Amino acid sequence: MGNFTVTIRKKARYVDPGLCNACAECAKVCPVVTPDEYQMGLSSRRAIYIPFPQAVPSSYVLDMEHCLGNNPVACGKCAEACEKKAISFDDRDQIVTREVGTVVVAIGAEVYDPTEMDDYGYTRFENVITSMEFERLICAGGPTEGHFVRPSDQRQPKRIGFVQCVGSRNPRMGRPWCSNICCMNTVKDTLLLADHYPDTRSVVFYQDIRAFGKSFEDMFQRSKEAGVRYVRGLPGEIHEDPRTHHLIVTVENTTSGKLERHELDMVVLSVGLQPPADLRKISSLLTLSKTSDGFFMEAHPKLRPVDAPTRGVYFAGMCESPKDIKDSVCQAGAAASRAGALLNAGKVTIEAITSRIDEAACTSCGVCVRVCPFGAIQWTKGTPAVVVEAMCAGCGSCAAQCKPGAITMRHFTDEQIVAQVRATLAQRPEEKVFVFACNWCSYAGADMAGISRMQYPASNRVVRTMCSARVSEEMVLEAFRCGAPVVLVSGCHYADCHYINANRQTVKRVQSMWAKLEKAGVRPERLQLEWISAAEGQKFAKVMRQLDELRRTVTPEEIERSRKAFKPKVRRAAAEAATAAPVPGTAT
Amino acid sequence: MTATLERFRCMACGHEFQEVVQEDEDKERTCPRCRSNSIRKLKKAAEPAE
Ligand SMILES: Cc1cc2nc3c(=O)[nH]c(=O)nc-3n(C[C@H](O)[C@H](O)[C@H](O)COP(=O)(O)OP(=O)(O)OC[C@H]3O[C@@H](n4cnc5c(N)ncnc54)[C@H](O)[C@@H]3O)c2cc1C
Ligand SMILES: [Zn+2]
Repeated sequence: MGNFTVTIRKKARYVDPGLCNACAECAKVCPVVTPDEYQMGLSSRRAIYIPFPQAVPSSYVLDMEHCLGNNPVACGKCAEACEKKAISFDDRDQIVTREVGTVVVAIGAEVYDPTEMDDYGYTRFENVITSMEFERLICAGGPTEGHFVRPSDQRQPKRIGFVQCVGSRNPRMGRPWCSNICCMNTVKDTLLLADHYPDTRSVVFYQDIRAFGKSFEDMFQRSKEAGVRYVRGLPGEIHEDPRTHHLIVTVENTTSGKLERHELDMVVLSVGLQPPADLRKISSLLTLSKTSDGFFMEAHPKLRPVDAPTRGVYFAGMCESPKDIKDSVCQAGAAASRAGALLNAGKVTIEAITSRIDEAACTSCGVCVRVCPFGAIQWTKGTPAVVVEAMCAGCGSCAAQCKPGAITMRHFTDEQIVAQVRATLAQRPEEKVFVFACNWCSYAGADMAGISRMQYPASNRVVRTMCSARVSEEMVLEAFRCGAPVVLVSGCHYADCHYINANRQTVKRVQSMWAKLEKAGVRPERLQLEWISAAEGQKFAKVMRQLDELRRTVTPEEIERSRKAFKPKVRRAAAEAATAAPVPGTAT
Repeated sequence: MTATLERFRCMACGHEFQEVVQEDEDKERTCPRCRSNSIRKLKKAAEPAE
């Protein structure tokens, strides 16, 4: 855990920030003109520039990609103009290495590029801009020094439309999530316009206004009081009057049920947020995973919201999910505290249930390394794998997948689980539905069904494992050998898996077992898979009713077949433990 | 990113269905008919005969 070696590329600045006093003489003589990224390309900059007004350090930097060249020096005017002699064309990228104990991931998010949404004409009509471009146009430090003008004629627009949820809450586009900040950003923008230009008329096209945060509702009401019109409904299309460059927006007002036509001077697309481009790279560096929306997944959605599943790694800001500045700052503070707590702990307590690899039995295949969601197993080709116990969370995916049986889960061994299977099915197995339930969700779901006094057949017998991924092929086959008519493997829903994504291994295993059962002439339906959360007592009860019905269809001949179809695999570890547990097949 | 059309069978109710699967998607599968998670991925439809 911790103990990260970080390699950092420190990019060449070509300007010594210690000497530069930001006098701007260099930029005055630079002949290169290129679009200013910070101003969303709405104005230009020189090749030597300060990236944005609040940049730290407050020093010029030379953009070598656009500079006329330093090898040989083709222009050199900036260096001549610099009194402090701060500019050096010989500067090179440096590689810096640091040993660190914790890592905070705060790579933010990206805004959606509406180019593909041709219906709104973002690329065709000059006066259709994004909320990001609006931000620059209204800003005193922006390309127009805060004079809000529209691109086509540099005149101040009087009628402005905002279209919400552009690239958000749209399952058809594969972007079902809410980007969180856009509603309030638009409310803020309408207030800015009402304040700076009282003669403007703003209209907001929306599907829902989400003003849930502290004092947000108040801001929303102020916007309405300022005369901003809120129209429930997203425009289907935007057209331009080619003569005036005004925009025609047709929208179905879903409150009134009427089709409305709005002529506007300018339209702002309130663009959503998406995971940052580097997320995948950072994920693989730190063995992190993402939620279905593509943002980073936290260790636990309620109880460990700033911890990454990899111990010693924390999240701050939008890379975890879209959020405003206040929430980003809260999370950053929490991440720093969590990191500080770990750094100052001195000692860390490891899980009681961890994985141990028997070096002698390990065949160095590397399968365990691939299935470990925590990156807790170290292995180089040709040598036995080793578990870093401080990082192991004890899911048991590795043990379930280890063909030679070289992996033991401390205090929760295969032999213990198999013994439970045998004991449970020792008498009248044909009357039972055998259930493997994960500790965190499914077992708690079964509890919930009981606490809520839900009715379901009493035929089920539940054996608990920490994670559904702990349930090995052998355990399932053992249940069939012992005469189980039906076996259920149950675990947490994808988003709730307590071991990052270990339950994806469960899916793979059950898939391959269905094929195996079929091949052996055993009805594959006799093995079932369900995700049952701690709150889903209802679902547990429903599944138990269905499985009991299924059980009644399994004939004695079928049970006899599955008893004999699968030869027990004599594992080295199992053989050793044979003195403690009865031999497979004798439990009839 | 590539997407493929896959065939699935619900092992609880027997319903067969097709779904577009993104290459790197990480999605829980549920039977559109009975809501079961016992969803078996079937082999691709046979390639057209040569
Ligand atoms: C149009 C718009 C308007 C907004 N208006 C408001 C508002 O009025 N009020 C409000 O509270 N919030 C507003 N927000 C939200 C606000 O921008 C975010 O809450 C805030 O920026 C989140 O901070 P962050 O540090 O998580 O991410 P970011 O601000 O995105 O910072 C992430 C940083 O990480 C860097 N980075 C990315 N990848 C790497 C890498 N691999 N290595 C090193 N660095 C990397 C990026 O370059 C970036 O500088 C607005 C957002 C948008 C898009
Ligand atoms: Zn079904």
